Amino acid sequence: MTLSTGGEGSSQGGGSSLADVVDTVLDKGLVIDAYIGASVAGIELLTINARITIASVDTYLRFAERADRLQLDSGGKGLPDMVESATTGRAKGKAAQGAIGAAGKALDQIANSIGSPSRQ
Amino acid sequence: MAHSDRDAGRQSVCYVYGVVPADVEIDEDVRGVSAPPARVQVIRRGRVGVLVSQIDGGRPLGRPDDLVAHKELLDMVAAVAPVLPMRFGAVADSPDAVADQLLSAHEDELAADLENLEGYAEYVLHGRYEPEAVLAAVLQENPAAARLRDAIHGAPEEEARDARIRLGEFIGQAVEAKRQADTEAVVRELEPYAQQVRVREPTHEDDAMYLAVLAETSRSGEIEQYARELAERWDGWISVRLLGPMAAYDFVRAPEA
Repeated sequence: MTLSTGGEGSSQGGGSSLADVVDTVLDKGLVIDAYIGASVAGIELLTINARITIASVDTYLRFAERADRLQLDSGGKGLPDMVESATTGRAKGKAAQGAIGAAGKALDQIANSIGSPSRQ
Repeated sequence: MAHSDRDAGRQSVCYVYGVVPADVEIDEDVRGVSAPPARVQVIRRGRVGVLVSQIDGGRPLGRPDDLVAHKELLDMVAAVAPVLPMRFGAVADSPDAVADQLLSAHEDELAADLENLEGYAEYVLHGRYEPEAVLAAVLQENPAAARLRDAIHGAPEEEARDARIRLGEFIGQAVEAKRQADTEAVVRELEPYAQQVRVREPTHEDDAMYLAVLAETSRSGEIEQYARELAERWDGWISVRLLGPMAAYDFVRAPEA
Protein backbone atom coordinates (compact mmCIF):
# COMPACT_ATOMS: atom_id res chain seq x y z
CA MET A 1 0.00 0.00 0.00
CA THR A 2 1.18 3.49 -0.77
CA LEU A 3 0.28 6.65 1.06
CA SER A 4 0.59 10.16 -0.18
CA THR A 5 -0.11 13.61 1.17
CA GLY A 6 -3.01 14.05 -1.21
CA GLY A 7 -4.38 10.58 -0.70
CA GLU A 8 -7.08 9.09 1.43
CA GLY A 9 -6.78 10.13 5.01
CA SER A 10 -5.22 13.52 4.42
CA SER A 11 -8.44 15.13 5.56
CA GLN A 12 -8.55 13.03 8.73
CA GLY A 13 -8.06 14.86 11.93
CA GLY A 14 -10.28 17.65 10.68
CA GLY A 15 -11.72 19.45 13.66
CA SER A 16 -8.78 18.59 15.86
CA SER A 17 -7.07 21.57 17.42
CA LEU A 18 -3.51 22.03 18.61
CA ALA A 19 -4.77 21.25 22.13
CA ASP A 20 -6.05 17.89 20.86
CA VAL A 21 -2.68 17.20 19.26
CA VAL A 22 -0.84 18.11 22.46
CA ASP A 23 -3.14 15.93 24.60
CA THR A 24 -2.31 12.99 22.39
CA VAL A 25 1.27 13.11 21.13
CA LEU A 26 3.01 14.41 24.28
CA ASP A 27 1.30 12.10 26.70
CA LYS A 28 0.53 8.88 24.84
CA GLY A 29 2.32 6.47 22.55
CA LEU A 30 5.38 4.28 22.86
CA VAL A 31 8.44 5.76 24.54
CA ILE A 32 11.61 5.10 22.58
CA ASP A 33 13.69 4.76 25.76
CA ALA A 34 11.91 1.47 26.36
CA TYR A 35 13.65 0.08 23.27
CA ILE A 36 16.84 2.02 22.78
CA GLY A 37 19.37 2.57 25.54
CA ALA A 38 20.30 5.85 27.14
CA SER A 39 23.19 6.46 24.74
CA VAL A 40 20.96 8.01 22.09
CA ALA A 41 21.45 11.37 20.51
CA GLY A 42 20.25 14.25 22.60
CA ILE A 43 17.93 16.79 21.06
CA GLU A 44 16.46 19.82 22.71
CA LEU A 45 12.75 19.33 23.17
CA LEU A 46 10.70 22.45 23.60
CA THR A 47 8.62 21.39 26.53
CA ILE A 48 4.99 22.19 26.79
CA ASN A 49 3.42 21.43 30.13
CA ALA A 50 0.31 19.68 28.92
CA ARG A 51 -0.79 18.53 32.33
CA ILE A 52 -3.66 20.50 33.68
CA THR A 53 -4.85 20.13 37.22
CA ILE A 54 -8.52 20.91 37.34
CA ALA A 55 -8.73 20.43 41.11
CA SER A 56 -6.96 23.64 42.10
CA VAL A 57 -7.74 26.84 43.97
CA ASP A 58 -7.59 28.71 40.66
CA THR A 59 -10.29 26.46 39.25
CA TYR A 60 -12.41 26.86 42.38
CA LEU A 61 -12.17 30.65 42.28
CA ARG A 62 -13.08 30.54 38.59
CA PHE A 63 -16.13 28.37 39.27
CA ALA A 64 -17.23 30.77 42.02
CA GLU A 65 -16.72 33.77 39.75
CA ARG A 66 -18.72 32.12 36.98
CA ALA A 67 -21.49 31.21 39.43
CA ASP A 68 -21.58 34.82 40.59
CA ARG A 69 -22.08 36.05 37.04
CA LEU A 70 -24.73 33.49 36.17
CA GLN A 71 -28.29 34.72 35.70
CA LEU A 72 -30.19 31.81 37.14
CA ASP A 73 -33.71 32.93 36.38
CA SER A 74 -33.40 33.28 32.63
CA GLY A 75 -31.21 30.38 31.59
CA GLY A 76 -32.44 27.60 33.82
CA LYS A 77 -35.79 26.71 32.29
CA GLY A 78 -36.19 23.07 31.37
CA LEU A 79 -32.69 22.15 32.52
CA PRO A 80 -33.67 19.66 35.23
CA ASP A 81 -35.50 17.58 32.64
CA MET A 82 -32.50 17.58 30.36
CA VAL A 83 -30.15 16.65 33.18
CA GLU A 84 -32.53 13.90 34.22
CA SER A 85 -32.54 12.33 30.77
CA ALA A 86 -28.83 12.85 30.21
CA THR A 87 -27.72 11.27 33.46
CA THR A 88 -28.62 7.68 32.79
CA GLY A 89 -25.53 6.31 34.50
CA ARG A 90 -26.49 6.38 38.12
CA ALA A 91 -24.21 3.90 39.86
CA LYS A 92 -21.24 6.03 40.87
CA GLY A 93 -23.11 9.22 40.23
CA LYS A 94 -25.50 8.48 43.07
CA ALA A 95 -22.72 7.87 45.58
CA ALA A 96 -21.05 11.10 44.53
CA GLN A 97 -24.38 12.93 44.83
CA GLY A 98 -24.64 11.68 48.42
CA ALA A 99 -21.26 13.14 49.30
CA ILE A 100 -22.30 16.38 47.67
CA GLY A 101 -25.51 16.51 49.70
CA ALA A 102 -23.41 16.34 52.87
CA ALA A 103 -21.05 19.02 51.61
CA GLY A 104 -24.06 21.23 50.89
CA LYS A 105 -24.86 21.47 54.63
CA ALA A 106 -21.40 22.90 55.27
CA LEU A 107 -22.06 25.53 52.60
CA ASP A 108 -25.13 26.70 54.51
CA GLN A 109 -23.01 27.38 57.58
CA ILE A 110 -20.54 29.40 55.55
CA ALA A 111 -23.38 31.35 53.97
CA ASN A 112 -24.80 32.18 57.38
CA SER A 113 -21.42 33.33 58.66
CA ILE A 114 -21.11 35.78 55.80
CA GLY A 115 -24.30 37.46 56.90
CA SER A 116 -26.68 38.48 54.18
CA PRO A 117 -28.82 35.38 53.60
CA SER A 118 -29.95 36.31 50.15
CA ARG A 119 -29.26 38.76 47.36
CA GLN A 120 -31.72 41.60 46.92
CA MET B 1 29.57 10.40 7.72
CA ALA B 2 32.34 11.91 9.82
CA HIS B 3 31.70 15.02 11.84
CA SER B 4 34.28 17.14 13.63
CA ASP B 5 33.71 17.92 17.29
CA ARG B 6 32.72 21.44 16.37
CA ASP B 7 29.84 20.06 14.33
CA ALA B 8 28.66 17.81 17.11
CA GLY B 9 25.73 20.05 18.02
CA ARG B 10 24.52 20.11 14.45
CA GLN B 11 24.74 16.43 13.76
CA SER B 12 21.80 14.87 12.06
CA VAL B 13 19.70 12.52 14.17
CA CYS B 14 17.06 9.95 13.33
CA TYR B 15 13.54 11.00 14.33
CA VAL B 16 11.16 8.08 14.90
CA TYR B 17 7.38 8.39 14.27
CA GLY B 18 6.10 4.87 14.69
CA VAL B 19 6.21 1.20 13.76
CA VAL B 20 4.31 -0.20 10.78
CA PRO B 21 4.04 -3.50 8.89
CA ALA B 22 6.94 -3.91 6.45
CA ASP B 23 4.64 -3.57 3.41
CA VAL B 24 3.74 0.07 4.16
CA GLU B 25 5.22 2.51 1.68
CA ILE B 26 5.42 6.27 1.95
CA ASP B 27 5.40 8.59 -1.07
CA GLU B 28 8.49 10.72 -1.60
CA ASP B 29 6.54 13.92 -1.19
CA VAL B 30 5.30 13.11 2.32
CA ARG B 31 6.91 15.42 4.89
CA GLY B 32 7.31 15.21 8.64
CA VAL B 33 8.81 17.21 11.53
CA SER B 34 11.52 19.89 11.55
CA ALA B 35 12.01 22.94 9.30
CA PRO B 36 12.05 22.66 6.43
CA PRO B 37 9.81 19.61 6.98
CA ALA B 38 11.92 16.50 6.54
CA ARG B 39 11.29 13.65 4.15
CA VAL B 40 9.77 10.52 5.71
CA GLN B 41 11.32 7.15 5.04
CA VAL B 42 10.64 3.54 5.98
CA ILE B 43 13.36 1.33 7.46
CA ARG B 44 12.47 -2.37 7.37
CA ARG B 45 13.61 -5.50 9.18
CA GLY B 46 11.68 -8.68 8.54
CA ARG B 47 7.93 -8.19 8.97
CA VAL B 48 8.15 -4.74 10.55
CA GLY B 49 9.19 -1.26 9.50
CA VAL B 50 9.60 2.09 11.16
CA LEU B 51 8.81 5.58 9.87
CA VAL B 52 11.76 7.94 10.35
CA SER B 53 13.21 11.28 9.23
CA GLN B 54 16.82 12.41 9.28
CA ILE B 55 16.72 15.81 10.98
CA ASP B 56 19.13 18.46 12.19
CA GLY B 57 20.01 17.57 15.77
CA GLY B 58 20.88 21.18 16.56
CA ARG B 59 17.39 22.50 16.01
CA PRO B 60 15.04 22.34 19.01
CA LEU B 61 12.01 20.19 18.38
CA GLY B 62 8.48 20.76 19.58
CA ARG B 63 7.04 23.75 17.78
CA PRO B 64 3.32 23.43 16.98
CA ASP B 65 4.16 22.52 13.36
CA ASP B 66 6.34 19.66 14.60
CA LEU B 67 3.60 18.26 16.85
CA VAL B 68 1.00 18.49 14.12
CA ALA B 69 3.31 16.91 11.53
CA HIS B 70 4.03 13.96 13.83
CA LYS B 71 0.33 13.36 14.46
CA GLU B 72 -0.88 13.94 10.90
CA LEU B 73 1.61 11.48 9.44
CA LEU B 74 0.64 8.74 11.89
CA ASP B 75 -3.09 9.40 11.56
CA MET B 76 -2.81 9.27 7.78
CA VAL B 77 -1.17 5.86 8.06
CA ALA B 78 -3.64 4.68 10.72
CA ALA B 79 -6.57 5.26 8.36
CA VAL B 80 -5.26 2.51 6.05
CA ALA B 81 -2.77 0.36 8.00
CA PRO B 82 -1.96 -0.58 11.58
CA VAL B 83 0.65 1.63 13.23
CA LEU B 84 2.25 1.74 16.68
CA PRO B 85 2.77 5.45 17.36
CA MET B 86 5.77 6.72 19.32
CA ARG B 87 5.33 9.54 21.79
CA PHE B 88 6.47 12.84 20.26
CA GLY B 89 10.19 13.53 20.47
CA ALA B 90 11.68 10.08 19.88
CA VAL B 91 15.18 10.34 18.41
CA ALA B 92 18.07 7.93 17.91
CA ASP B 93 21.67 8.36 16.78
CA SER B 94 21.17 6.65 13.45
CA PRO B 95 18.82 4.60 11.30
CA ASP B 96 21.00 1.57 12.12
CA ALA B 97 20.42 2.01 15.84
CA VAL B 98 16.67 2.09 15.24
CA ALA B 99 16.76 -0.89 12.90
CA ASP B 100 18.83 -3.02 15.29
CA GLN B 101 17.60 -2.03 18.75
CA LEU B 102 13.95 -1.33 17.96
CA LEU B 103 13.03 -3.51 14.97
CA SER B 104 15.33 -6.53 15.03
CA ALA B 105 15.40 -6.87 18.80
CA HIS B 106 11.61 -6.72 19.14
CA GLU B 107 10.35 -7.97 15.76
CA ASP B 108 8.06 -10.69 17.12
CA GLU B 109 6.23 -8.58 19.68
CA LEU B 110 5.95 -5.57 17.35
CA ALA B 111 4.57 -7.78 14.57
CA ALA B 112 2.07 -9.33 16.99
CA ASP B 113 0.92 -5.92 18.26
CA LEU B 114 0.50 -4.69 14.68
CA GLU B 115 -1.50 -7.78 13.77
CA ASN B 116 -3.84 -7.14 16.72
CA LEU B 117 -4.40 -3.61 15.44
CA GLU B 118 -5.14 -4.70 11.86
CA GLY B 119 -8.45 -3.16 10.84
CA TYR B 120 -8.67 -1.02 14.00
CA ALA B 121 -7.99 2.62 14.74
CA GLU B 122 -8.51 5.02 17.61
CA TYR B 123 -11.33 7.52 17.91
CA VAL B 124 -11.58 10.19 20.55
CA LEU B 125 -15.01 11.13 21.84
CA HIS B 126 -14.93 14.39 23.75
CA GLY B 127 -17.85 16.05 25.47
CA ARG B 128 -17.83 19.40 27.25
CA TYR B 129 -20.65 20.85 29.33
CA GLU B 130 -22.03 24.15 28.13
CA PRO B 131 -20.51 26.43 30.79
CA GLU B 132 -23.69 28.25 31.83
CA ALA B 133 -25.93 25.19 31.61
CA VAL B 134 -23.79 23.04 33.90
CA LEU B 135 -23.48 25.81 36.51
CA ALA B 136 -27.21 26.48 36.42
CA ALA B 137 -27.89 22.77 36.88
CA VAL B 138 -25.51 22.49 39.85
CA LEU B 139 -27.00 25.53 41.59
CA GLN B 140 -30.57 24.36 40.97
CA GLU B 141 -29.85 20.88 42.26
CA ASN B 142 -28.04 22.19 45.34
CA PRO B 143 -29.97 25.00 47.02
CA ALA B 144 -27.23 25.41 49.65
CA ALA B 145 -24.73 26.25 46.92
CA ALA B 146 -27.16 28.74 45.41
CA ARG B 147 -27.65 30.35 48.85
CA LEU B 148 -23.90 30.62 49.40
CA ARG B 149 -23.52 32.17 45.98
CA ASP B 150 -26.12 34.77 46.89
CA ALA B 151 -24.44 35.41 50.25
CA ILE B 152 -21.05 35.94 48.61
CA HIS B 153 -22.50 38.33 46.08
CA GLY B 154 -21.64 41.83 47.17
CA ALA B 155 -19.47 40.67 50.08
CA PRO B 156 -15.99 42.27 50.25
CA GLU B 157 -13.49 40.39 48.06
CA GLU B 158 -11.07 39.60 50.91
CA GLU B 159 -13.70 38.60 53.44
CA ALA B 160 -15.40 36.21 51.04
CA ARG B 161 -12.30 34.61 49.56
CA ASP B 162 -12.48 31.44 51.64
CA ALA B 163 -16.19 31.17 50.99
CA ARG B 164 -15.57 31.56 47.27
CA ILE B 165 -13.01 28.78 47.35
CA ARG B 166 -15.44 26.53 49.22
CA LEU B 167 -18.23 27.30 46.79
CA GLY B 168 -15.97 26.69 43.80
CA GLU B 169 -14.70 23.45 45.30
CA PHE B 170 -18.26 22.31 45.82
CA ILE B 171 -19.20 23.16 42.24
CA GLY B 172 -16.10 21.32 41.04
CA GLN B 173 -17.17 18.21 42.96
CA ALA B 174 -20.70 18.44 41.62
CA VAL B 175 -19.42 18.72 38.05
CA GLU B 176 -17.08 15.78 38.72
CA ALA B 177 -20.09 13.69 39.83
CA LYS B 178 -21.89 14.55 36.59
CA ARG B 179 -18.72 13.77 34.62
CA GLN B 180 -18.48 10.34 36.25
CA ALA B 181 -22.11 9.50 35.60
CA ASP B 182 -22.11 10.71 31.99
CA THR B 183 -18.77 9.05 31.27
CA GLU B 184 -20.04 5.71 32.60
CA ALA B 185 -23.22 5.99 30.58
CA VAL B 186 -21.37 6.69 27.33
CA VAL B 187 -18.79 3.95 27.95
CA ARG B 188 -21.71 1.51 28.27
CA GLU B 189 -23.37 2.82 25.13
CA LEU B 190 -20.10 2.47 23.21
CA GLU B 191 -19.84 -1.25 23.95
CA PRO B 192 -21.46 -2.35 20.66
CA TYR B 193 -18.96 -0.30 18.64
CA ALA B 194 -15.76 -0.48 20.64
CA GLN B 195 -13.21 -3.20 21.15
CA GLN B 196 -11.73 -1.18 24.04
CA VAL B 197 -12.44 2.15 25.69
CA ARG B 198 -9.99 4.15 27.81
CA VAL B 199 -11.11 7.05 29.95
CA ARG B 200 -8.73 9.97 29.57
CA GLU B 201 -8.14 12.45 32.37
CA PRO B 202 -10.23 15.59 31.91
CA THR B 203 -8.20 18.54 30.62
CA HIS B 204 -10.81 21.21 31.28
CA GLU B 205 -13.03 21.95 34.27
CA ASP B 206 -16.16 21.66 32.09
CA ASP B 207 -15.21 18.35 30.48
CA ALA B 208 -18.13 15.91 30.52
CA MET B 209 -16.21 12.96 29.08
CA TYR B 210 -12.91 12.32 27.33
CA LEU B 211 -12.76 8.84 25.86
CA ALA B 212 -10.31 7.01 23.65
CA VAL B 213 -12.09 4.29 21.68
CA LEU B 214 -10.43 1.44 19.79
CA ALA B 215 -12.79 0.37 17.02
CA GLU B 216 -12.86 -1.22 13.58
CA THR B 217 -12.26 1.36 10.87
CA SER B 218 -14.98 -0.40 8.85
CA ARG B 219 -17.43 0.81 11.49
CA SER B 220 -16.44 4.48 11.30
CA GLY B 221 -19.90 5.34 9.99
CA GLU B 222 -21.66 3.79 12.98
CA ILE B 223 -19.44 5.62 15.46
CA GLU B 224 -20.00 8.90 13.67
CA GLN B 225 -23.75 8.25 13.74
CA TYR B 226 -23.62 7.51 17.48
CA ALA B 227 -21.67 10.75 18.08
CA ARG B 228 -24.28 12.68 16.08
CA GLU B 229 -27.07 11.16 18.14
CA LEU B 230 -25.26 12.11 21.36
CA ALA B 231 -24.83 15.67 20.11
CA GLU B 232 -28.55 15.88 19.35
CA ARG B 233 -29.59 14.33 22.66
CA TRP B 234 -27.41 16.82 24.55
CA ASP B 235 -27.96 19.89 22.41
CA GLY B 236 -27.55 22.90 24.72
CA TRP B 237 -26.15 20.74 27.53
CA ILE B 238 -22.97 19.02 26.27
CA SER B 239 -21.09 19.81 23.08
CA VAL B 240 -19.76 16.61 21.53
CA ARG B 241 -16.79 16.12 19.20
CA LEU B 242 -15.51 12.97 17.53
CA LEU B 243 -11.89 12.82 16.35
CA GLY B 244 -10.38 10.08 14.22
CA PRO B 245 -9.68 7.62 12.86
CA MET B 246 -6.23 8.19 14.29
CA ALA B 247 -3.22 6.15 15.41
CA ALA B 248 -3.92 4.11 18.56
CA TYR B 249 -1.90 6.27 20.95
CA ASP B 250 -3.97 5.22 23.96
CA PHE B 251 -3.77 1.49 23.23
CA VAL B 252 -0.10 0.75 22.58
CA ARG B 253 1.99 -0.96 25.25
CA ALA B 254 5.66 -0.85 26.02
CA PRO B 255 7.75 -4.01 25.67
CA GLU B 256 8.21 -6.26 28.67
CA ALA B 257 11.49 -5.51 30.39
